[in-house]
Amino acid sequence: MRTKPRSSRFWHQQQKIAPYLFIAPFYLLFVLFMGYPLLSSLVMSLYEMRGFQSRVFVGIGNFTDLFRDPIFWKSLRNTAYFAIGTLTLQLPIALLLAILLNSKFVKGKNVLRLAFFAPVLVAGVFVAIIFNLVYDQRAGLINQELILFGREIGWLNEENYVMPAVILTGVWQWAGFNMIYFLAGLQGIRQELYEAAAVDGANWWQAFLHVTLPSLRPVIAFVFVVSMIGSLQLFDLPYILTNGGEPADAGSTIVMYLYKNGFQFMRLGYAATIGWVLFFIIAVISIVQLKLLGIFRDE
Amino acid sequence: MFRLLIDADSFPLGKGPMVMLILFLISTIFIFARSEEQGQKLEFWIFANTHFEEYQTRVPIFEAENPGVNVQLINFGGTMHDKLLAAMLSNFGAPDLVEVEITSIGRFLKGAIDEVGFVDLRPRLESEGWMEKLVVSRFTPWSYRGRIYGIPHDLHPVVLLYRDDLFKAAGVEMTEVETWDDFIAAGKKATRDLDGDGTVDQHAIVLDRRTESDYFSLLLQQGGGFFDEEGNVIIDSELAIETLEFFVSLFNEHKIATPVYGTWHGDPSNFAAMQDGKILSILAPDWYVGILKSQVPQMAGKWKAISMPAWKPGDRRTTTRGGTMIGITTQCKNPDRAWELLKFTYFDRGGLVNRYETTRIIPPLKSAWDAPIFKEPDLYLGGQPLGELFIELAPDLPPRYQNPYWSEGADLLNDAIFAAVTEKQTSREALTELAAKVRALIAKDQGRWRDL
Repeated sequence: MRTKPRSSRFWHQQQKIAPYLFIAPFYLLFVLFMGYPLLSSLVMSLYEMRGFQSRVFVGIGNFTDLFRDPIFWKSLRNTAYFAIGTLTLQLPIALLLAILLNSKFVKGKNVLRLAFFAPVLVAGVFVAIIFNLVYDQRAGLINQELILFGREIGWLNEENYVMPAVILTGVWQWAGFNMIYFLAGLQGIRQELYEAAAVDGANWWQAFLHVTLPSLRPVIAFVFVVSMIGSLQLFDLPYILTNGGEPADAGSTIVMYLYKNGFQFMRLGYAATIGWVLFFIIAVISIVQLKLLGIFRDE
Repeated sequence: MFRLLIDADSFPLGKGPMVMLILFLISTIFIFARSEEQGQKLEFWIFANTHFEEYQTRVPIFEAENPGVNVQLINFGGTMHDKLLAAMLSNFGAPDLVEVEITSIGRFLKGAIDEVGFVDLRPRLESEGWMEKLVVSRFTPWSYRGRIYGIPHDLHPVVLLYRDDLFKAAGVEMTEVETWDDFIAAGKKATRDLDGDGTVDQHAIVLDRRTESDYFSLLLQQGGGFFDEEGNVIIDSELAIETLEFFVSLFNEHKIATPVYGTWHGDPSNFAAMQDGKILSILAPDWYVGILKSQVPQMAGKWKAISMPAWKPGDRRTTTRGGTMIGITTQCKNPDRAWELLKFTYFDRGGLVNRYETTRIIPPLKSAWDAPIFKEPDLYLGGQPLGELFIELAPDLPPRYQNPYWSEGADLLNDAIFAAVTEKQTSREALTELAAKVRALIAKDQGRWRDL
């Protein structure tokens, strides 16, 4: 037939290009929506914009300005404070809840699981609005209790209490979410390991230390890294809760400062610089975390 | 019979992808063809719900009067300014008309004068004689380097709203208060520990020490500001320092002021404190009265209003806080048509009366002020005709000069006020340091762009 050689040629060609066509949509979208903006923001960090059209090359000027900027350092401190608070308070609580829900002695597990997980389903903005009322100095839920002990804390009005208030809100919202990861990890631990430990004479605590924790290592590493990245990207909760980081930037975070510079001050080059510095901080911390948790080890 | 120009069998990947490609091409042609007829379509972006509701009723009338014109109202809420910024940056997708809030306009004025994304409305205003018909001082927030980028939506004069019953219970007749010294004397009587537990239960005034809102209102009242008309930083002037010292003294020396409950004056906690009688007065612009009415209707009849106390007898007895403008963007394809819609929504007497009915906002168009509605007794204020008081004060509104560095300045001003009130710095130190930072920021940009 006349068309057969053409079809066969086409079929042969198609076999060669088909794999590339299959993966092409991802790469095209990645280049368009990730690669290009990333490269563009890197270039932007070397410039400063003026108005909507013109820009001037400032080299590493934005980076040197940033490292001399006291509000950036304050935002970085606040962000680190939140991250440490999250890791030291939220994750142990999440693990504890998971252990409780995994134990045979707790009843109504499904209801409790739903109750602990439910705060995640509430949008950050609404969480902030709710906790604004909870932290109110005179009429708030917490201070109403504290007043009974003769104490009144300006949670959102005194600089020292703003970040603790944000951390506690974060614990309320995210502990249940991380609990689900830990619970899945706990349920994946083979029962035989506990039985073997019991045969060796291990008590509950020893079994927890030598069986549960090592078995949970990949889950702990994942939750640690994801929580750390989430903490470093903190924005909406303190933005609403503290009305833009007030008072005196006590609630300002790196991403909030980035947003303010980019969108409120129209300093796009400076905002891009903050974005890249944040990227490096996250990358370094994540690698160190994974290294310390032994994820790169061959076993 | 109909026959495809392209042989479907020979198309790579078969018929399905070919049909999709044809549909894609047809829809692309359709979209671009439609964009050609957009001269008759006007897109109008809004960020405030109350404004959106008002225009929803007004715009159909405009469309009926202008056959063929289709107005698309889009209410983006709080994210609108960011969307507008992105549209202006990309030079694509901005609306024909847009409303911009007073603390957000500065960022749109950065850069060379011809890079500003709004049309200069001064020629139209002057040639059609609108300048004389509006309150001239209200153009200052929307003007920069001689150009007028927006028409004021409002005036936002400020009055002192007070609890007549509670001041009277403390033996104070607030209508006799004329100056801030009078207010301090009255406030000292009214600020009281009612149950004798050593804690003050009611404060004469609530002030925001976290943001610039109240302090800046007081500064404007005296004719001060952050920037002067030429764009110079004047926030460390003696006037500004003395005003901050006064502001701080209301908390720390006279102890008649309480910090705002919650995070701002519109916080539910603040409303709760008002209902509990913990707050006896507040500096209230017209829009805030509208918020009070909707948020705490149960307080109807408990408030009264007087002009703000003057700094010296005979001085200005009001200030201004907040504001919105409407502007035509430089991406607008039919500015003449947009100007007609602008005039219809902002300069129509009937519409402005309707606006006052729903929002309590006093319009800048002077010819609308004699409408009977402004003289009507306001039941929320126990029958006091509040509109009349606002209109009496309106001609005396202070100017509020706009500057591209306002956002940066205001952010730092918030910190300075808090530092002064919490006595971490003196008022002089806080404002001097603030002014130096903003000047350094401007100087750095001027070094980068010499024609700034």
